[in-house]
Amino acid sequence: MRSRFLVPLLVLAVAAAAQTPAKKYNPPRMADGHPDLQGTYDAATLTPLERRSGTPLVMPKEEAAKQEALAVAVKQQGDKAIDGDRAAPPKGGDGSPGPAGNVGGYNTGWLDTGSAYTVVDGQVRASIIIDPPDGRTPPLVPGRKAGESAYNLNIVGFLQASLNAKPRPTSDQTESNDPGLERTPGAYDDPEARPLGERCLIGFGSTSGPPMLPNYFYNNNHQIVQTADHVMILTEMVHDARIVRMNAQHLPKNIRLWLGDSVGHWEGDTLVVDTTNFTDKTAFRGSTPDLHVIERFTREDAHTLLYRFTIDDPKTWTKPWTGEYSWPESKGPIYEYACHEGNYAMMDILKGARIREKEQAAKHGSK
Amino acid sequence: MQHKIWTSFLLPAVALCVMSWPAAAHHAFGSEFDADRPVILKGKIVKIEWINPHTWIHVEITKEDGTKEEWMCEGGSPNTLLRRGANKNTFPEGTEIIIDGYQARDHTELRANARNVTFPDGRKLFLGSTGTGAPNSDEFSTDKARKVGK
Repeated sequence: MRSRFLVPLLVLAVAAAAQTPAKKYNPPRMADGHPDLQGTYDAATLTPLERRSGTPLVMPKEEAAKQEALAVAVKQQGDKAIDGDRAAPPKGGDGSPGPAGNVGGYNTGWLDTGSAYTVVDGQVRASIIIDPPDGRTPPLVPGRKAGESAYNLNIVGFLQASLNAKPRPTSDQTESNDPGLERTPGAYDDPEARPLGERCLIGFGSTSGPPMLPNYFYNNNHQIVQTADHVMILTEMVHDARIVRMNAQHLPKNIRLWLGDSVGHWEGDTLVVDTTNFTDKTAFRGSTPDLHVIERFTREDAHTLLYRFTIDDPKTWTKPWTGEYSWPESKGPIYEYACHEGNYAMMDILKGARIREKEQAAKHGSK
Repeated sequence: MQHKIWTSFLLPAVALCVMSWPAAAHHAFGSEFDADRPVILKGKIVKIEWINPHTWIHVEITKEDGTKEEWMCEGGSPNTLLRRGANKNTFPEGTEIIIDGYQARDHTELRANARNVTFPDGRKLFLGSTGTGAPNSDEFSTDKARKVGK
């Protein structure tokens, strides 16, 4: 299984060496001599996980600037004043598609989706995935069912989930998944049928990972605390802390963890984190508990980490795949995300489903 | 040529992403709220619960018969606003606001989603300093809030 990693890693190493022959940045160091990776980072980006087939990895800077300006313009449009003397929204729903169930969400002012494409080695990147070279996840092993196919488009996840008879909550599923009673019987039968993020168990969009991905929505912040023996990676949503044991062996295979078992070591100035021992609870993009993730954290400069990850699960994908994106330093601290504290919505979502069931029963009964 | 490819691919992608912002929610809004019960709530802030996963704005409204009701309205995660410099003192009790949204499916509950939260003149309460993450307290001027609240 290790050999599945070797070829792409070698390719990447050669490519990286060719692109950056002499990285001169000398990072600040801990007492043990290893780079100090500590800090808070904002991983929000406009760069999607996958890009459209046939388009290049490196995005023309002028095009990136245009798209970034468009994103800003649309955000500003959402922030604009509206009629103070307005009436209630239309009866029967406001026409908002899918996830929000025709009732709308809330103002754009709440959101922080990122406003720039990620830049790696001076290149504006059109996708996080760099291997396979087409920027797409590899083909699935025959018989496996795909997870979400486009991270930045919530509507896609919604539509895909809608096709399942009973959606299985996964680590990458957006919480906005609301396929409706009619199309997905059982989706609201009990709290455990709800997405993990909606249950306040882990963040939606694989924010805590591994792999740790942007959710294209808000609160994409991480904090790293480092000692010689352990590295702690805190993800703001939903206050998920990963403890990486340095230079340690993996736990026995019968001990399984939601975020996997992470052990780390240094390869030069890069922190390498190897994670196995997953459960069947999270199923990142349809993966099995045999998922194996290797992450590489490298300080690029005083204000930026490069985060690279390689995914392997021979029962899910026909070959490993690799992605990378920059984590710029966050200007502010991470705020507590005590999700259970205020999750009034879960009760109302389930209660709403019971009311819908009664309405449906009454409707059918009267016919 | 390349320009066209990028434009044709990315414009719709970004537009769809952005357009889905107001629609996309943190969780299953469609099960929580009733599309057949639109509400427009004009009243004063009683308190704002700055809690995750969602902020809840309590607003007291006066009905046509003179009686009062306190409604709870669901917004987004407070962390984004905290990062931009807003906090629980930014919008004082008594600030006049208008919220439009849809009531919870359980009509015995005075709850709704805060689809739009504005001052009486239509300005949005929760403006965003896009992307920078930098606090911009000017956008949350309590002076402005007090002026419209009196």
